[in-house]
Amino acid sequence: MARDPQSPAKSRPTIDAAAIRELAKLLDETGLSEIEVEQGDQRIRVRRQFSGKSFSNALSGVPAPVAVTPAPAIPLADDPSKHPGVVTSPMVGIAYIGPEPGARPFVEVGAQVVAGQTLLIVEAMKTMNQIPAPRAGTVVRILVEDSQPVEYGEPLMIIE
Amino acid sequence: MFDKILIANRGEIALRVLRACQELGIATVAVHSTADANAMHVRLADESVCIGPPAARDSYLNIPSLLAACEITGADAVHPGYGFLSENARFAEILAEHNIQFIGPKAEHIRLMGDKIEAKRTAQRLGIPVVPGSEGGVTTDAEALAIARDIGFPILVKAAAGGGGRGMKVAQSEDELSEALATARAEAKAAFGDDAVYLEKYLQRPRHIEIQVLGDGNGNAIHLGERDCSLQRRHQKVWEEGPSPALNREARDVIGETVAKAMRELSYFGVGTVEFLYEDGKFYFIEMNTRIQVEHPVTEMITGIDLVLEQIRVAAGGELTLAQHEVEFHGHSIECRINAENAVTFRPSPGKILSYHPPGGLGVRVDSAVYQGYSIPPHYDSLVGKLIVHGKTRTECLMRLKRALDEFVIDGIQTTLPLFQKLVRTPDIIDGNYHIHWLEQFLAENKAEA
Repeated sequence: MARDPQSPAKSRPTIDAAAIRELAKLLDETGLSEIEVEQGDQRIRVRRQFSGKSFSNALSGVPAPVAVTPAPAIPLADDPSKHPGVVTSPMVGIAYIGPEPGARPFVEVGAQVVAGQTLLIVEAMKTMNQIPAPRAGTVVRILVEDSQPVEYGEPLMIIE
Repeated sequence: MFDKILIANRGEIALRVLRACQELGIATVAVHSTADANAMHVRLADESVCIGPPAARDSYLNIPSLLAACEITGADAVHPGYGFLSENARFAEILAEHNIQFIGPKAEHIRLMGDKIEAKRTAQRLGIPVVPGSEGGVTTDAEALAIARDIGFPILVKAAAGGGGRGMKVAQSEDELSEALATARAEAKAAFGDDAVYLEKYLQRPRHIEIQVLGDGNGNAIHLGERDCSLQRRHQKVWEEGPSPALNREARDVIGETVAKAMRELSYFGVGTVEFLYEDGKFYFIEMNTRIQVEHPVTEMITGIDLVLEQIRVAAGGELTLAQHEVEFHGHSIECRINAENAVTFRPSPGKILSYHPPGGLGVRVDSAVYQGYSIPPHYDSLVGKLIVHGKTRTECLMRLKRALDEFVIDGIQTTLPLFQKLVRTPDIIDGNYHIHWLEQFLAENKAEA
């Protein structure tokens, strides 16, 4: 099992609150309803939430008092560790999504799994540890790549 | 020299090790429990790996997890700090089996000094004076009584597998001996898994004086002077200083050379501290710690030598660059261990530090990993940081310490800063006139007044 000493142990996604505030301010200033910005592997979308007023008021010439409450930012690179269906690594090691190099992955996105079904393997100290699904459900996201080093508590998959 | 060191510890010592690594240009890996994800050294390290949940046995003591972290990061050496696995011979051996350098002494010396009975035998063999006591462990009460009568009461029953002040019971007279033996055995079994005990003469008002040593494993070893750590509460050091107010240069040279010679004979590798009780001009060996100690900065301040850097250098195969006669002692240094505890009741006070301002200026050093907004986790020891002060004389050092303590701000949690502010103004402390029971007597007297 090749170990890649070049890859960093982890990079923590951080919420750039300052950037979000900037974008929200821009929404106000420009009158736009939605702004999306991509930087590196982080994408932020800020959308203005309209109130229940119908467009017919606007069309009839009466300026509809639009409720200007910039929606809370919906960062697409959201924090998976907060998701209720997240499966985290119980140990430090290398994650493998299939039983062997070249073999089919244990599960793919969309797969239905039962409780106890093997989702992936984490290798630590030459021992292969099967990571079971904690409950039945659907695999909605696979958060690691094959042969990726993982730490304790690292989000591996999301099962809903 | 190493390419990458994994720091197998937390808190202020992890940050201390990180600083030495960065000065040597060595890449750093910080391993941490989930509770320490926001630790300062984790933020500063080149890489970090979460190795487990808060409990130490599942994280900082979790050898498989640490090894896995070494594997995935490619670390070629591990620095164990103090406590945790720093004196675990098995951990040192396992690392060696995986071709990872343990930055510490040889496993055989860790093992040797970890068994307090063996350590004492070895010290005796090497010409280091020891406390009069049983030749080895005592198994029967009758045997214990005979030896105790020989040495003279009061007697201290000590756990062979203990150390660091734990696993000791005093018997003031023959009547108390049986009970002291039984209690010590039971506690030793529970705490260390080994109920072997031995006896020592209980010294009434000794000072605790320890000698810092450094060896390169090739028969070269030097001593770096002493630290006086007599001020202790429940066997935990609270205030350490060097040089000791009780020693003159000649006494220091004699005990220093005795210890250094012993380390040369052992071919000791790395840093270590040989601890003594000192009474009526005589030294009595109690134990040796085969690791970097909490109070190492005291020695660094008076010798100008970076002990952690030397540890790393020697572990990487370097030789000692200093000969004994080149080691110089300048001025005086005092360290105060500041804990997150109420200064009177010593009840632990974990929580968030709302305001933090450490003192500065010439001769003031703060070894701490906390920062404003940092939350002290409740799972580990309560050390907030160490305030270390240096002065050209002991008097100047005390003045500086007083000023630094008054300047230090740590709000949001309770700390033992007020205790040190009191001590630095107390005549016995100013005179250097204290022994290992002094602090507990002082606290008891002050509690009675309160």
